[in-house]
Amino acid sequence: MNTIVELKNLTKSFGGVKAVDNVSMDFEKYRITALIGPNGAGKTTIFNIINGFIKPDKGQILFEGKDITGLPPHKITKKGIGRLFQDIRIFNKLTVLENVLVAIEGQSGENFSNAIFHRKKMIKEEKENIEKAKELLDFVKLSDKKDIFAENLSYGQQKLLSIARILAQDSKVLLLDEPTAGVNPVLIDSIIEVIKKLPQKEKTIILIEHNINVVLEISDWVFLLDEGKVASFGLPDEVLSDPVTREVYLGV
Amino acid sequence: MNYLLHILIMIGIYLILTQSLNILMGYTGLLSVCHAAFYGIGAYATTLLMMKFGINFFIAVFISIIISVVLSYIVSIPSLKLKGDYFVLSTIGFQSIIFSILYNWVSFTRGPYGIPGIPSPSIFGFTFADPSSYLILVLFFVIPVIIFTHLITSSQFGRVLKSIREDELAASSLGKDVYRFKLTAFAISAGIAAISGGLYACYLTYIDPTSFTISESLFLITIIAIGGSGNLKGPVVGSIVVIILPEILRFLNIPDTIAPNIRMMIYALALIIFMIYKPKGIAGEYGFE
Repeated sequence: MNTIVELKNLTKSFGGVKAVDNVSMDFEKYRITALIGPNGAGKTTIFNIINGFIKPDKGQILFEGKDITGLPPHKITKKGIGRLFQDIRIFNKLTVLENVLVAIEGQSGENFSNAIFHRKKMIKEEKENIEKAKELLDFVKLSDKKDIFAENLSYGQQKLLSIARILAQDSKVLLLDEPTAGVNPVLIDSIIEVIKKLPQKEKTIILIEHNINVVLEISDWVFLLDEGKVASFGLPDEVLSDPVTREVYLGV
Repeated sequence: MNYLLHILIMIGIYLILTQSLNILMGYTGLLSVCHAAFYGIGAYATTLLMMKFGINFFIAVFISIIISVVLSYIVSIPSLKLKGDYFVLSTIGFQSIIFSILYNWVSFTRGPYGIPGIPSPSIFGFTFADPSSYLILVLFFVIPVIIFTHLITSSQFGRVLKSIREDELAASSLGKDVYRFKLTAFAISAGIAAISGGLYACYLTYIDPTSFTISESLFLITIIAIGGSGNLKGPVVGSIVVIILPEILRFLNIPDTIAPNIRMMIYALALIIFMIYKPKGIAGEYGFE
């Protein structure tokens, strides 16, 4: 298996409770891997550890074979791991286009002296970035909304925008935290459609998802987590038909 | 005529102060209560450099910008690690420290006695002494400051500041080094504020520490709350309205003994009304909460 992200013996406790307990996982390149499990199983904590918001008590995170444990979030992002938040975290008072633009890597004008003394370079760069951002908005079907404030989009559209935003970062790995939660069924289909196309764009997807139909439809691999441990791993229908899964979810 | 010029000069000085505060408040979403401290640092640094070392006004202003920026890092490096209210508290602390230094270091700043007889700025033998030439001098600084703030706020740098204002955690997850952006915004804002200090000192030819207290800092915040923040218009509108508003009192023949108090009450009332009914201010884009 061609692994891109590898978690080795991760442990993290919050006040005596082990949110993540000696977890090891491998994520295959250009595949969609789903993390499922009941609330409190440690899924979001694992995301927070991978992208640097939380430091693990023990264990290692390897990205493309290199140790990234303990790096601050912005450095992990620069290495190529993007994060889609459960609560979206769109920039409300920025336009839809600006939301995507701000995510693009390597903008020289982010250095304030360049923004003043190398204005021409910045403007030229900005033109290319706008083209790129428009393409991404096309991809998530939000082009016609590009000039409105992001706060005026519907919830589902904001999710799509946040996907466009992490794509703008050129991340190799995308962490999607419940991309379809709270979204109306019509937009769930467009979100699924967008996510399914991502591996062709050389993206590796790790997602947390509660909707079993979505998991079956889009994921290549599934991890089942329970009480901070990996309870089961395999192909989607294998894991979902596993009696362990029934036990974890239904307590039978 | 001189009265009108005086108003215009004061509006110009406040424009520089509020434009620079807007970079912090309106674009980065940081509430700083020590802006008057940098105003005071600019005023005292320019004055002392001119009077003790005989340095030309323009060079003195330039040096005081640098001094102000350096001092800004003393407060920003530790305090920007704090969030929300704690950051506000530490700026109040810095404001008090600077005031105490200006007030108590009598041998250097003359403390409460103030510094009288500050010379007028001059360049190539021309002295900016009368109000009309002083207005030109003020404009000579106001225009570049507005162009400068326009250039940075309309740039990719400015867009990152706005994203930090909207959601810090999301900005850092997009690879932005939020702490460094805030440090830079704070330093730029402090540096620009120093310019208005120099202009103020040489205009009045007298300064004392009571012009640079925490109430002055709050006054600047009031101007932005009334005018609006997050764009360039807001502080311009705010400065004009807030400087002109109390001048109406002059024409109502209110005795000088109570005029300052009434002025404060008008500001307080305006602030409350705007916070409740128009949090974006008259011309602002961003509602500071």
